[in-house]
Amino acid sequence: MNGPQPLTVTGLTVRFAGLTALDGVGFTVAPGTVHALIGPNGAGKSTCFNVLSGVYRATSGSVRLGGRELTRETPHAIASLGVARTFQNLALSAHSTVADTLLLGRHRLTRSGILASGLRLPRAAREAGRHTERMREIAAFLGLEPYLDAPAGLLPYGVQKLVELGRALCMEPDVLLLDEPIAGMNPTERQHTAALIASVRDSLGLSVLLVEHDMGVVMRLADTVTVLDFGRKIAEGTPGEVQNDPEVVRAYLGEHQETETPR
Amino acid sequence: MSERLTSRLGWLLGGVVLLAMPFYLERFWLQAGVFAMAAAIGAIGLNLLTGSAGQLSLAHAFFLAVGAYGYCVFAGDSGSATGLTGWGLPPVLAAVLAVALAGAVGGLFSPIAGRVRGPYLGIATLALIFIGQHVLLNAHDLTGGFNGRAVPPLSVFGFAFDDSATVVAGVPFRSMEKLWYLGLALLAAGALFARGVLRGRPGRAINAIRDHQTAAGVIGIPVARTRGAIFVLSSMYAGLAGVLLALAFQHAVPGYFGIVLSLEYLAMIVIGGLGTVSGAVIGAAFVTLIPQVLTKYSESLPLVSAPGTGGVAPGEASRYLYGAAVVAAVLFLPGGLARLPVPRWARKGARDKAPAPTSRNMEVST
Repeated sequence: MNGPQPLTVTGLTVRFAGLTALDGVGFTVAPGTVHALIGPNGAGKSTCFNVLSGVYRATSGSVRLGGRELTRETPHAIASLGVARTFQNLALSAHSTVADTLLLGRHRLTRSGILASGLRLPRAAREAGRHTERMREIAAFLGLEPYLDAPAGLLPYGVQKLVELGRALCMEPDVLLLDEPIAGMNPTERQHTAALIASVRDSLGLSVLLVEHDMGVVMRLADTVTVLDFGRKIAEGTPGEVQNDPEVVRAYLGEHQETETPR
Repeated sequence: MSERLTSRLGWLLGGVVLLAMPFYLERFWLQAGVFAMAAAIGAIGLNLLTGSAGQLSLAHAFFLAVGAYGYCVFAGDSGSATGLTGWGLPPVLAAVLAVALAGAVGGLFSPIAGRVRGPYLGIATLALIFIGQHVLLNAHDLTGGFNGRAVPPLSVFGFAFDDSATVVAGVPFRSMEKLWYLGLALLAAGALFARGVLRGRPGRAINAIRDHQTAAGVIGIPVARTRGAIFVLSSMYAGLAGVLLALAFQHAVPGYFGIVLSLEYLAMIVIGGLGTVSGAVIGAAFVTLIPQVLTKYSESLPLVSAPGTGGVAPGEASRYLYGAAVVAAVLFLPGGLARLPVPRWARKGARDKAPAPTSRNMEVST
């Protein structure tokens, strides 16, 4: 990989039968920045993630990573281009150990097939050794080392969220899509995770696209914020700009500010 | 003594006991043992597919038949008076080709097996059973029709696995004694291979596909291709089991390879434990040996009578028994017999490190 490239979304529209989940949305995640995607529930944030990672097909519009068009690719092809994501609701195998879960992230970077693994060929063992070492580094970075041998399903929710993040980082991505990475965490874990995301950007130089409801964290972490409402982009800019945007205030608080409270 | 050492000693002791069996057991039990080993190989294959990858298959009996009849055709006498097709190949080559044939047939079906998920694949594979039965009964040249065909004995570099007696330490070794060692070697190789697959990169990938298909794709696992590949591997295990079964039977009949056999294999992996090699082996031993035990001791057991004398025949009785065992395993022992509480000293060796689903979460996830 030759460093992160911009992820450019233009005119992205997704329709499910009669429902338009995304309507001509466009934004660019600049290399090495944290770009937050916010909006009330049902604004289309998760749909957007699913299109970016190849799970849903776009009705029209384009998603480009550098020069590559992603909208026609399968999920595993997009992963192999260096896009990794985490899931809002955990997608971990409850019985797999944390070590195995993290190694799963190395899948696209490794080659051993059925024959090499079954016959325990030396090259499979060498490959496993090399990647286990890197996996341990990433686990240490996230503070997951004490849990490596524990089944993922037995861990506290906050730690499981970190395991998800770790699995995505193990893919050595250029672009990291984080779907509510700190939801359901306690305050200490939130702080720890927010610091980790900032250091992922600063030390690894990844681009991060972040969906999160915790506005405090979004405003502290994000370089750029895109606001969606009912599938449309209603605002974009730095956290400061977006916070004071009348459209955004209306989307979050409703037409009459005094009658509703923010989520 | 360290746990590692005790587990090694346990394996060593078990190995010696198994190797010594042919010197003490009569033919009936040796044959039962060879059946169990063949079934264990087949069950390991099915457990890779159903237990570890979450793909239900009812076609396992079909692939066993492909292996068994493939071997018969490849190794059978060419142009014999029986009117059956036979290529007259060296038996070892024929056995290898039969396993490859099972893999190739699995490969033909893998575009479907790669795309159809969990229980739906079970329904799709049902078709293979019916096609298989139709072909087995009607392709007289290949299979001998309803009455089946004789299985040519295996011979390795002039050493024949037939009934000519080779005397070892005063014990005449006939076909079953020899097949016992063959089965033991093949089972050990098959189990080690499967364990390597499960603990390595492919094992992690198929577990991920079983638990979270969408996430597996996003992580970079080509879901359809990986599922197709594990289906082929599972078919090859079934093919090998079929060859060994045919050698032990010495006569292959189509009726054996029906839907009931497929269900027995599913019973094996549920009873033994889904997703582990040891579970498949234990389950296979349980399901194949119970009918044999009941047959042998039908006179002395209450409620069970010799076949044809009225009352419950041993075959029926054993089906009731492992039907009950499946229910009991699902209700009380979700990890199967392989997850039975083991005494501390035996624990390390008896357990597979590979993560296993329980029969409970299989139901939810499929």
